[in-house]
Parts: sequence; structure tokens; C-alpha cells
Amino acid sequence: MAEKRSSGVEGAFVEEGSVAGGSFVPALRVPAVPGLFADEGGAKVFGNKCVSCGTPYFPKAADCHNPHCQASRMEDCAFSGKGVVWSYSVADFPPPPPHKYDKPFKPYVIGVIDMDNGLRMVGQMVDPLERVRIGAPVELVIDTLYHEDDKAYTSWKFKLV
Amino acid sequence: MREVSVLGVGVHRFGKTGDDVVGTKSVTELCRHAVQMALKDAGVSWGQIEAVAAASSRFSGGKGWGLNGNDVVEDIGSTGIPVYNLSAGCAAGGNAFNVGYALVAGGVYDIVLVVGGEVMPKGMIQTSGVEEATDPEFLRQRCVGMPGPSFWATLARRRMFDHGTTEEQYARVTVKARKCSVGNPFARFQKEIGINDVLASPYVSNPLRLFEICPVSNGAAAAVICSAAKARQFTGKPITVATSAVATLDFSDALPRGLAGPVPAGPSFHTEAKAAVMRAFEQAGVGPRDISFTELQDNTCYYELAFPEEWGLCEPGEAQTLLESGQTTPVGRMPINPSGGFVSFGEATTAMGVWQIAELTWQLRGQAGARQVPGAKVGLAQTNGLGGNATAAILKR
Ligand SMILES: [Zn+2]
Repeated sequence: MAEKRSSGVEGAFVEEGSVAGGSFVPALRVPAVPGLFADEGGAKVFGNKCVSCGTPYFPKAADCHNPHCQASRMEDCAFSGKGVVWSYSVADFPPPPPHKYDKPFKPYVIGVIDMDNGLRMVGQMVDPLERVRIGAPVELVIDTLYHEDDKAYTSWKFKLV
Repeated sequence: MREVSVLGVGVHRFGKTGDDVVGTKSVTELCRHAVQMALKDAGVSWGQIEAVAAASSRFSGGKGWGLNGNDVVEDIGSTGIPVYNLSAGCAAGGNAFNVGYALVAGGVYDIVLVVGGEVMPKGMIQTSGVEEATDPEFLRQRCVGMPGPSFWATLARRRMFDHGTTEEQYARVTVKARKCSVGNPFARFQKEIGINDVLASPYVSNPLRLFEICPVSNGAAAAVICSAAKARQFTGKPITVATSAVATLDFSDALPRGLAGPVPAGPSFHTEAKAAVMRAFEQAGVGPRDISFTELQDNTCYYELAFPEEWGLCEPGEAQTLLESGQTTPVGRMPINPSGGFVSFGEATTAMGVWQIAELTWQLRGQAGARQVPGAKVGLAQTNGLGGNATAAILKR
């Protein structure tokens, strides 16, 4: 299960080929928030699903939120795979805290994605605005969000396929 | 339930910290101005106020606990009256009005003061106030970085896809809003703006531009409300509160609020706002076509087009046609935000729901000057707040 490049820190990797200060320094890849997603064995986010009514949740819900659900029965679930763009926008200015980003700020596209797994998810897009269209197929990826203390902090994002 | 009237209203003009309007005034000073104005307008003395329903602010005053109503009472005179501090994000002013209304309608008190005021920090509103991985809003901002304008921008983009709305049409909403604000003595911006200026303003979150998104403002508003029976002692022409309603988000809501939700079966947008407005229609016994004018929460010009359609004031996709033919101006057949709206005022978050009550009251009294809706009989007000909160109120003469 654990891959060769796993560093021993849960969910942490060495980022391959990253360059800091002109010299080649592999940055430790760390999730921006631990326990929410992973890259090992394919990008996935950790949520759960109510097996009574089929409602998926990310992040995990303690109980089913569906008021029409007869009996909340939650099962852990790793969500991955593909979806289509429902809509998108651009963060043209740096968002306020608690968002973190590498300076100088580079605008990024935010996608709202209807996933095949039944979730409508938000996430940054790795693709430039010019290429993003409503209805375009995408896949879930794990990618760097910002750097801090020589570490590359990651999050889930979406990539056009 | 007893009938409730609006006796008097007051507003401190909106502005930006350091300008000639609000300068360095504290939220307490802004509220004092609005409350004194409302008391005078009502012909009521401070000693006659039996209770206060106040909007709780996260940004200013309230001793950091949202005790903004207590600040007002301490400042104007500690008469020992009960104070209700209501928190509902940007819907807090509407929520305070709802609680004040319910207390009077239910016969608990005869005369209640409703108040909200803000001194806002600069820049985009920081939506998450906590740094905890259990808070979905924190996760959304840390892991994605999707501030309010980007949430609105995804909706604006989707509308362009669904209804063919153009960026020029969004810009035209701002042009119309700013035209309404000319001569409104309470608006922060009171000058017209041309479509080229709007289209030349930078994107805050593509496709929405700087002049299409309301900034944050400082300001305050107050309303003295009263049982209809008691109101007759003060005035011959009180404005009637036809109803006040509050709602929260429904499970079926389709909008990207947190990190993820189930892909919805149908297009159920802004379920909290729609539920509040539908409840208000039902309780007041009026339909969407009976409304003379609407003051709705236009954090961005997108809402001037989307909300009227979602509430049945017009057909889906029709709002931009009505806009272009001038039907959403004060003299049109579906006037939207004759005050100039949030785009002209800026958002003094928790004051907004109370400010709308003041604006509705002036319109229904025929005191709205250049922005007057001719023959206005029934006004609708609506606010939305973080957490899936919404409020609606219908006033009539
Ligand atoms: Zn369920």
C-alpha cells in the first residue's frame, strides 16, 4: 500500500523536481489539512456515504443530513475519478486568510465539478482560464497549493482530461 | 397575531473608514445617529422603548461577543429593557427585524427598537472566523481559496451558460443601480457611472468586475416598530408590516456552499432566500406580481437578475430583458433596488436588513425623492447570510 517515496509522515511525499532558490531541493509534500485526501494509489478524497439513502459527503458527516432519510447509516468512502465542470470562476485577487498562497500571487481558476461519484465539489483547477468550459470533463488530482518552511502543502484540484 | 406597524426609521449614511461621511466614527456613534433619527421620526422617546432586537456583528462593537444591542442601550440610556442580539451573518439585520416583529405581533411588547450597525474591516470579508479543520468554511478557504466574490462569480458564469446573459448585461445592472443612487442622501456612492467605466474596472473574480461587486461599508440603521393599535396614538398613516419571515438552507440546495454536496436532482438555487420569500408571500397573502418594488441583497449585480426569477417576479431568463428595456428602474413594471442597492451603498453587513426596512418605509410613505417608485403600495425586502440564513419582509401602506 505505502509507496517507496513515502517519508513516514502520514500522507507526506517528496515533491519531485521542485526548485527552491535556484538549487534543486526536493520539498516534502504535506497535505494542507491532514486526513482529508491522499495521492497514494491515485488521487482521492476521504468522505463517507449514507448507505440508506445513498447521499455522499465530503468531508465526512457524522450523520446523514438528508431530512427524508429513514435511517442514517454512514460508511467511510474514498472518492476519486472523473466529472464535468458545472461552472467556474477565477480568483483574480488573493483570497483573505485562512487561504495561503505562494507570492507573488497568481490568479487561479476555481471549478465547481459534478463528479461521477455523485458529489458536486469545489476545487482549484490546474488548467488556465482559456481552456476551461462548462461541461468539460475533468479528473481529481492532488497538487501543490503553497510552500512554507521548505514544505510543499498540497490540496485536491481538478485537471481537464 | 397582532398587526404590526413601522413608526419611525433612521439611517446613518454609509461610507468608508476615513472618508468625510463616517470618518473614524465607532459603530456605537453610527447606531446612536440612526436610533435618534428613528425615535424622532416615530415621535417616541427612548423611555418608551420596551425592548431592543439588535443584529450581532462579528466585525465591530458588541464587546467581541456580538452584544451590539447592549452597546446601544448602554450608550443611549440603561433603562433596564430586554435586549435580543441576533446572529445570522449578513442576514442578522433581517433576523433582528423578524424577532422584533414576532415579539410585537405576539403581544409580548408594544414598542420595540430594531437596530444594526457596522464598522467593517478593509477588503474582502474573511468568511471563516475559526482555524479548525472541523469547520467547513475554514477547509473551503484553506484548501481551495474561494472567497465570496468567487462563489458569486461561479453563479454568474453558470447564468451566462443557462440564459445567455452577457458581461455587458451584468455591467448594465451596475449602471442602473448607480443611476438610482443619485440623490439618495444615505448612499455611499451617489454618482452615475457609465457602462465603459464598469467594463474597464478589473475583474475581482472573472466574470465579475470591481464595480459589479459591493464593497464593504460602515453604516447603521434603526426602526421603531409598534402594535398597530398603539401606532394610532402616534400617527395617522403608519406603514404596516404585512409579514416578516426567516428561513435556512434546504437539503436540496444545488449551490457549491461547502467543499462538496450531492449533485442535485434539479436546479434549486438559493433555497434559503426562496423559502423566506415564499413564506412571506404566503403569510402576507400576496403574490409576486402584487409587489410594487423589491429591495434585495445584491452583493453582486448577478442577484438583480437571478433573484426576481427565482421568486417568480418574472420568468426564468427574463430579468435581463426587463433590465435592458428599463423595467427594473423605479418607474418600470418590476422595480428592483430603487435605493441603488448594495452596489451603491456597500455592505455594512448586519445593518442591511434594517436599512432595507427604512428604505421600504420611505418608499411607501412617498418620501423617496428622485428614486420614488410611483404609487408604491407593497414593498419586498430580502437578505441572505452565511450559514444558509435568509430573511424576507413585506411592508405595505
Ligand atoms: Zn441518509
